[in-house]
Amino acid sequence: MKRSKLLVALAALALVFAACTDAGGGDDTTTTADAGGEGNGDGAPAGGRLAAVQEAGVIVCGVNETLPGFGVIDDEGNFSGFDVDFCRVVAAGILGDAEAVEFFPLTAEARFPALQSGEIDLMIRNTTWTALRDGQEGATFLHTTFYDGQGMMVPADTGFTELEDLANANICVLSGTTTELNLTAVLDSRGIPFNPIVFEDNTQLRPAYEEGQCEAWTSDASQLAAFKASIEDEGGAEQFIMAEIFSKEPLGPVVADGDSEWAQAVEWTVMATVQAWEFGIDSSNVDGFQSDHPDVQNLLGAGTDEAAGLDLPADFAVQIITQVGNYEEIYNRHIPGIGIALEGTPNDLWTNGGLQYVPPYH
Amino acid sequence: MTTTKPRREVARPPFWRDIRVLRVVGQVVAVVIVLLLLRWLYNNLVASFDRLGIALNFDFLTSQTRFRIAYYNEFDPSSPVWQMVLVGIKNTFLAGFFGIILASVIGLIVGVSRLSDNWLVARLATIYVEIFRNIPPLVIIIFFGFALFFFGPFPILSESWELSLGGNNLLILNKDRWAVPGILATGGLTVFWMILAVGVVATYIVWRWRTRVFDDTGQPHHRVLWSVGVLLGFFLVGYLATGTPLEMSWPVITEDRRLFQGGFAFNWGFISLTAALGLYTASHIGEIVRGSILAVHGGQSEAANALALSAFQRYRFVVLPQAMRIALPPTINQYLNLVKNTSLGVAVGYAEITALTRTSIGNGRPTFQSIIILMAVYLGFSLVISLILNIVNRRFTLVER
Repeated sequence: MKRSKLLVALAALALVFAACTDAGGGDDTTTTADAGGEGNGDGAPAGGRLAAVQEAGVIVCGVNETLPGFGVIDDEGNFSGFDVDFCRVVAAGILGDAEAVEFFPLTAEARFPALQSGEIDLMIRNTTWTALRDGQEGATFLHTTFYDGQGMMVPADTGFTELEDLANANICVLSGTTTELNLTAVLDSRGIPFNPIVFEDNTQLRPAYEEGQCEAWTSDASQLAAFKASIEDEGGAEQFIMAEIFSKEPLGPVVADGDSEWAQAVEWTVMATVQAWEFGIDSSNVDGFQSDHPDVQNLLGAGTDEAAGLDLPADFAVQIITQVGNYEEIYNRHIPGIGIALEGTPNDLWTNGGLQYVPPYH
Repeated sequence: MTTTKPRREVARPPFWRDIRVLRVVGQVVAVVIVLLLLRWLYNNLVASFDRLGIALNFDFLTSQTRFRIAYYNEFDPSSPVWQMVLVGIKNTFLAGFFGIILASVIGLIVGVSRLSDNWLVARLATIYVEIFRNIPPLVIIIFFGFALFFFGPFPILSESWELSLGGNNLLILNKDRWAVPGILATGGLTVFWMILAVGVVATYIVWRWRTRVFDDTGQPHHRVLWSVGVLLGFFLVGYLATGTPLEMSWPVITEDRRLFQGGFAFNWGFISLTAALGLYTASHIGEIVRGSILAVHGGQSEAANALALSAFQRYRFVVLPQAMRIALPPTINQYLNLVKNTSLGVAVGYAEITALTRTSIGNGRPTFQSIIILMAVYLGFSLVISLILNIVNRRFTLVER
């Protein structure tokens, strides 16, 4: 009896495996069909994300919720910050409502899987654009909203002023960030021995640093500025940020590969904030802004039904500027508060010597 | 039995109501459903990866790691990722190994103490168990990190406490590391290890011989003394014969008070993690030990008392050997939990396999494949522990004759 049962089971197994391998041969057709039938949430076939978002009436935006200036949650659960505002920019541009955003807090490690799986529509989460991420993570990086660079902070009383002073120091760094790679690359290339102490998030790193567990803290300069201000405000020791910036950290919105229509829509809504700044349009004067410049008329959607064939509403820029503001307004709302004024930084407008430069709205 | 009545034809119900058919069909259907589910998940994965143009292979294991590992300066960032995985496995093993020893020793003491007649001892053990058993291990780990090191009493590296004897440091304590003297190999050790291996075998034989002498004649066996003597003898002979290949390595702080060298150092992440997990798991093991002791029949203790054994002898020779038999299987579970809980080490910056994998993923290594490797590593650890302890368990199980 027992043996015959076993035989039946084995036969069934063999059948299933046979079915599997058969299907494997014609995989292309089955999988494409599968992918098509997964609905809005998942990836969607080419060109589908924009339509899916418009249908759903809400954009799911991956953000950081622990980074002062860029993304934080307040006591009432509201998200605010520079990156968070750019999620609102995209929502205002595409859906006409800056509040039609569902914020999705992500850790450094979880961000790319969330993007790949289609769990989020886009991610604006102080994520550095690198070749490896562009290639291996299946991500498309869009217009850089914040030019950052890696810096090093030490307690002022150590008297350390340059990286060479840090020989044999314990250096605190967050796990899963490009910062860690830059640190190793730069210090090793200069022959400075060091010991990295890796933490999962800033809530553990900060007390370790303040209590002397590590002698230096390396991160994006913008983050260090924010924490320097916060530590000194709360009566901690005086901090010193070294002058040297030893990496390029271009931060901006990221979408999944394979949907250029969606990528373009996000790209142009984000760039509209810079273009508006260049034209001198802000939330106070956008109503009835008059100009004979054809590009301004194009941007503000006067006389056209659809913005340059981008599948965006004609008034997308007006909605963005009215509801959220131009780049300068967004920046000044969040970043000077953590100690970095706009003027003279790479994030200034190109006409002022900065790097914020967008293609023309012809 | 062979001469039976002619078999009676039983009227069988139709096959859709035949329990024998239904049983088989039920199992086949279950297997088919599970396999189809797995196939569906796999196809989903492959299709998604295809669409995003992400490769589903393990080539990244041979690419450069490109980051350094905390307290592991000999690790070269240009080594391939699989070497990073090995470092992670080693660190996980160390935390698990020391954690298990700590948990076993404390667990045994606590378990016996809870049954103590001494009011104070029993209450203290109860308080210990109730505190550690009811706090999540992650919280305990972070507490140790903060209480012992961040806000703890220890000085920074340049002002380390040094306990020295005759110019050599026996102990160095600071916020960063605790160091004790270590042993350093100065020459080839192969021959020395071979001699020592022979010594271990010889020790085992001597142990068996003394035990047999005791069993046969009742003379005192002194087997511990004998064995230690034999082992020491082999060690000394080997050590001298191979030209003293070992020397003490004393921990020192360099003259500029910036660098730590020599000795054997435990870093603060390791100490926090191991101590926290050891104490946490000990509270569970203590309860297992207590329950197992209570499960030994009361008559055994009474018999031991009747033989005028002391309390220690009663535990050592009568109660504990029987209790261990009961305690072992649930203790295996606790050991497995402890090893899996080492993955919380990232909270105190300890570079075990999970922490390193996460760093590696954050630096552009493929998430899915990295997690697969991580799961395989933990599965391997768990299977090895289960295997070893199951063998031990089989040795201990009461053999019915």
